[in-house]
Amino acid sequence: MSIILNKLKSWEGFLSLILISVILVNSLNSESFLSIDNQINLFELSVEKIIVALIMVFIILNAEIDLSVASMMGLSACALGWLVDSGTPMILALGLCLLIGAMGGAFNGYWITVFKLPSLVVTLAMLIGFRGLARVLVEDRSIRVFPSWFEALGQQPILGPIPLSIIIFLGLLILAVIILKFTGFGRYVYFIGINQNVALYSGINVSRVKMILFTASGIISALAGILFAARLGAVRGDMGLSFELDIITMVLLGGVSIFGGSGSINGVILSILIVLYLRNGMSLSNITGHIQTGVIGGLLILSVLIPNLQKMIHDFLNQRRKQLQ
Amino acid sequence: MTLKTSNQPILEVLNISKRFDMTQALSNVSLKMYPGEIHALVGENGAGKSTLIKILTGVQQADQGELRLSGAPVKISNSQEAQTYGIAAIYQEPLLFPDLDVAENIFISHQDHGFFVHWDKMYKEAEKILSGLGVRIDVHNSASGLTLAAQQAVEIAKAISLNVRVLIMDEPTASLSDHEVKQLFRTARQLKQEKNVAILFISHRLEEVFEIADRITVLRDGKHISTRPLSTVTKESLVREMVGRDVDQFYATRKTRAVGKRICSVKNLSKESTFYDISFDLHVGEILGFAGLVGSSRTDVGLAMFGINPADSGSIELDDNIVEINSPQTAKKLGVAYMTEDRHQLGLAMPMSVTSNITLASLNQYLNRYGIIKREKEGKTAKEFKNRLQIKTPSLEQEVGTLSGGNQQKVMFSKWLNTKPKIIILDEPTRGIDVGAKAEVHAMIHELAEKGLSIICISSDLPEVLAMSDRILIMREGRQMGILASREATQESVLSLAMGQKIGIS
Amino acid sequence: MNDLLRKLRPERLRELVLLLLILVVLIFFSTVIEHYLNARLFNRVSTSVAILGVLAIAQTLVILTRNIDLSVGSMVGFTAYFVGQQLSQNNEITPLVAILMAIGVGALMGSFNGFLVAVCRIPAIIVTLGTMALYRTLLVEYSDAQTVLTVNLPKWLLDLPRVNVLSYERLNLRLMVAGMFIVVILFQLILRNTSFGRKLYAVGSNPEAARNSGFPNQKIIFTAFVLCGSLAGLTGFMFLARFGNITVVAGSGLELKSVAAVVVGGVNIFGGSGSIFGAVLGAVMIDLLENSLIRWLQISEFWRDAMLGILILTSVATDSVIMKRFRNYRLKKLSQTNS
Repeated sequence: MSIILNKLKSWEGFLSLILISVILVNSLNSESFLSIDNQINLFELSVEKIIVALIMVFIILNAEIDLSVASMMGLSACALGWLVDSGTPMILALGLCLLIGAMGGAFNGYWITVFKLPSLVVTLAMLIGFRGLARVLVEDRSIRVFPSWFEALGQQPILGPIPLSIIIFLGLLILAVIILKFTGFGRYVYFIGINQNVALYSGINVSRVKMILFTASGIISALAGILFAARLGAVRGDMGLSFELDIITMVLLGGVSIFGGSGSINGVILSILIVLYLRNGMSLSNITGHIQTGVIGGLLILSVLIPNLQKMIHDFLNQRRKQLQ
Repeated sequence: MTLKTSNQPILEVLNISKRFDMTQALSNVSLKMYPGEIHALVGENGAGKSTLIKILTGVQQADQGELRLSGAPVKISNSQEAQTYGIAAIYQEPLLFPDLDVAENIFISHQDHGFFVHWDKMYKEAEKILSGLGVRIDVHNSASGLTLAAQQAVEIAKAISLNVRVLIMDEPTASLSDHEVKQLFRTARQLKQEKNVAILFISHRLEEVFEIADRITVLRDGKHISTRPLSTVTKESLVREMVGRDVDQFYATRKTRAVGKRICSVKNLSKESTFYDISFDLHVGEILGFAGLVGSSRTDVGLAMFGINPADSGSIELDDNIVEINSPQTAKKLGVAYMTEDRHQLGLAMPMSVTSNITLASLNQYLNRYGIIKREKEGKTAKEFKNRLQIKTPSLEQEVGTLSGGNQQKVMFSKWLNTKPKIIILDEPTRGIDVGAKAEVHAMIHELAEKGLSIICISSDLPEVLAMSDRILIMREGRQMGILASREATQESVLSLAMGQKIGIS
Repeated sequence: MNDLLRKLRPERLRELVLLLLILVVLIFFSTVIEHYLNARLFNRVSTSVAILGVLAIAQTLVILTRNIDLSVGSMVGFTAYFVGQQLSQNNEITPLVAILMAIGVGALMGSFNGFLVAVCRIPAIIVTLGTMALYRTLLVEYSDAQTVLTVNLPKWLLDLPRVNVLSYERLNLRLMVAGMFIVVILFQLILRNTSFGRKLYAVGSNPEAARNSGFPNQKIIFTAFVLCGSLAGLTGFMFLARFGNITVVAGSGLELKSVAAVVVGGVNIFGGSGSIFGAVLGAVMIDLLENSLIRWLQISEFWRDAMLGILILTSVATDSVIMKRFRNYRLKKLSQTNS
C-alpha cells in the first residue's frame, strides 16, 4: 500500500491519476471515445507533434530549447510541395526535405555551439526565419501536387488499422527510450543538462552532443513536416503554425525540468496521452480549436504551478510544525 | 594592542543555537564584540562559522538565543535589517551588480532614500569614500571588469556608506594576492582605528589571523571553544583547539624517492595576456608543485595543458613526441588529466550518482558497440575505487552532492584515475576539505606518485606545496620565476620569487 | 583617446552602431528603390514604429529583470478588440476613458502574468507561452468570432492616426508618434533616474545581490509585468486606432517582433543592461526593413520574415562577440592608464 502511495506522490503517479480521470470523463461523455477507430484517429491527428515531442525531450533535458520546430515542419512541408511542383522526383524531394531539416537544425546548432548564443534567442529567430522561408516558397498558395501513393501512405492504414506515421512514432519512441536510458549518449545528455561545465571539464565534447541534438531536431521536424504534408495531401505556408506550444507543453507536463537534467520519457508518454485525450474529448464535445489551444496553454502553466505550489505548501507546513515545537 | 574593556560591547551573541534537520549547526554559542577590535573567528569546515554569519546578517534566524546591539536585544530577520543596524558583511566573492557602475553599487542600499537618483551627488560621495580608503577605482566604470580586490573595496565602501558598526569579513583573502591582502589589512585597521568599527574576521590562513586579530574565538562542531586575546594564543594551541586533538605536524614529511625518466617537456608555452614562456620537464613519478599567488595564472597553464584554453605558442612534448592539445578530449586520449579546483561548478554533477560521476570521463570504456552502457562493469569499477580510496557513502547510487567535501574530492580523484592518465594536474586538491580529509588526500597523492604517476600540483597552500613536491615551479603574474628543488625551497624563498624578487637560478 | 574611450560606454557604442546601420539601410534602399526617401516613408514608418516602439519598451521592462513576455501580442489583440467593441457599442466614451480602459485591461492581464512568475515562481517563458494561448482564447471566446468593424467606431478614433502635432512641408509628426516619444522619455527617466528604475536593472543584473541588498525582487518583477501589460494595453489602443478592423488574430506575431526589437536594440536578453532608447531604435530598424522590403520589387515581400530572423541572430551574435571584445579592450586600456 505504501509503495502505491509513494508512486502516487511522484509526478508520474499524479499524471496517471489525471490520465485515468480524463479517460473516464471522455468515455462517459462519448461512446465512441474508446473505439479503436477513434483511438487511432486521435493519434494520427497529432502524430507530427508527438514525434517532435520525442526529440524535444532530449533538447530540454540538455537545458536548451528549440522553438523553431514547428516552423521547420512548415518549411519542410512547403519545400516538398515546391520541389514536387517544380518537377523534382518524389523520392529525391523527400531526401532533400530531410536534408533541409538537417541543415536548418545544424544552422541552429552552429550559432548555439560556436557563438555560444542562448538557444532561446537563436531558435526564436529561426521560428520567424524558417516560417519566412516557407512563405517565400509557397507564398499564399496551397500546393496540391503529390502522387497518389504518397497521399495514400499518409492516410491509409498499412499494418492492420495502423497508418505508417504511427508506426514511425512507435519506432522513434522505442529508440528514444533506449538512447536515453541505456546509452552513453543518453547519459551525456543528462550530465550536460545538469551542468554543462562539469561535462566540458570531464573531456566530453559538449558542442558535439548539442550539435547532434539540434541537427536531429531539424531532421525529425522535417520528417514530421513530410508526414503532415502526406496526411493533408497539400501544403500551405502556415502549416504547423504554433505547434511548438503543444510540443513544449507535452514535454514539460511530462515532468522534464525546463532547467535541464531531470525528467524521463515515461512521464512524457503519460503527458502525451493526456494532451491528446483532452483535445480529442474537447473535439468530441464540439469545442473549437482556439479554445483547445487555450486549455493547453493553461495546462502548460499548471504543469509547473502544481509542483511549485506543492513545494510551497510543504515548506509552509514544515515551518508551522517548527514553530509549534 | 590593548582593548578598552570598559567599553560596552557593540554586539553580543548570547547562547545562540541553530539546527538543520539532522545536524546541530550551532549550540549555545556566545560571543562579544567591542567597538574598535578585530575579532578573528576560526574553526574547521563545519564548525558553524558560516551559520553564525548567516544569523548575524539576517539570512537565517536562530532557533534559540539572543542578539544584542549596544546592549539592547534585537531581532534581525533579513539582510536589510542587518544593514540598518549597521551590520555588514563582505565575502570572498563579493556580490555586486555587474551591469551597474561602481558608485551605484556603493549606494545601492540607499535606494529607498527618495524617489529620484541624484547621480552627481552619488559620484562625488563615492569618490570621497574610496579615496578615504586609499583605493583608486573609477566610479563611473561598471563593476563587471573589476578585480576581486577592487570588488571587495567597493563592498567595504558600501558598508561605510551605511555607517557600518560591525563588519564581517568572511574569508576575504582567500583569492587575493599578497599585495592585495596587505591593502585590505590596512583598510581594516583604518576602519577599526578611525571609525571604531568592530570587525569579525574569518580566515583559514592562521598566519593572517595572527597578523591582524586582537582576539580569537574558536568554534568546533557548532560549539564555542574559546575566546582569547592574541597574546595568549600560539599556533599550536589554536590548531589543537580547532581540531580537538594534538596535531604534531600538518603535513607528512616528504619521503625521498627517485624519479624516473622524463615523460613530458613543456617549452615556452605562452598565451596572449595570460601567461608567457612557461618551460619545464616532468618525470615519471614526480610531483611538480605550482606555486604562486592568485593572479599568477597557474590554473591557466593547467587548462592549456588540458586543452580547455589551448596556448597560442610554445610546445608540449609527451614521451618525446610533440603533441597538439586543443581540446580536453585530445588531452584525455594522450593521458593528461586535470582535476579542477571548483568541485561544485566544474568538477561533479551533484544530483547524479557516485557511480556515474566516477565513470563520466571514461564512459567510452563501458560502452558496447551499440553505445549501450555495460552497467555491471561500471558498478565493478565504482566499487573498486570506493574500496581503494575509502570513499564513505551509503551506496554507490547515492547522489554525490550528499557526500562530504572530502569524499566528493575522492570521487573526483576516482573519475580521473579511471581514465588511466600518465600525467594528472591537480588544481588545489585540498581546497575546502577538513584537516582529516586533507591528510588522506596527501597520502593518496604520494601513493600515486610512488606508483609512477606524474603529478602537477597547483596549490595556494604554501606549506602544502613545500611538503608535497619534488620540485616547485613558481609563477608570478603569468611568468615563470624559477624552479626550485624541494630541498632548496623554503617558505621564504618560494614566496620571495612569487612576489617578484628573482633569486638564484631559474 | 582614453578620455573618449572612458566616455564611450559599450552601451552607447551599441546604440551609435545601430543608428549608423539604420542610415546604411536607408542609403541602400534609396539606391535600389525609386523615390524611396520621401515624406511618405517617414510618415508611414514613424506610425508603425509608434506601435512597435511602445511594445518594445514594454518588453524591455520585463527583459531587464531576466524575464520575457511572449504574451504581449495576445494582450495587444485582446485590448484592441475589447476597447473597440466598447467604443462600437457606446460612441459616448471619451478618448481619455478609452485609453485608460485599454491600459487597465492590459495591466490586469500583465498582473496575472506577474503573479504567476513572481509569486508562483514559474519561469516566465512558460507562463507567457501559456498566457499567449490563454489570452488569445479569451479573445476568441469574448468576440464570438465576430470582427470589430471600422464603420462602428467613433470618428475621433479613426481620425487619430492622421492627427498631426507638427508639420514641416510634407513631413508630419503624427500624434501617435508624439505619444510614443512621451512614453520613451517617461520610461527613460524612470529607468535612469528613479530608484524603481535602478532596482529593475539591479534585479536583472544580479538577483542574489539584489536580495542581499534587501530588495523585494518578486515585487519588482511583478511590477515590471504589470507595467509591461499596461503598455501592451496602450499599444492595443494604438493598434485599434490605426487598423480599425480588429479580428481574432489581431496582434499575433507582435510578441516575436517586440522581442526582436529589444534584442536588436542591444538589451541583454539575460537582463541587467540595455536602454529604452536602444529598444526603440531596434523597433525603427525592424519597421524600416519591413516597409522597405515590401517596396523593393526585386524581392518577394515574403522574404521579410526570413530576413527578420537573420537580423535577430546577427545582432545577438555581434553583441556576444564584438561587444565583448570592445568591453575587454576598453577595460584593459582604462586600467592601464589608471595604474
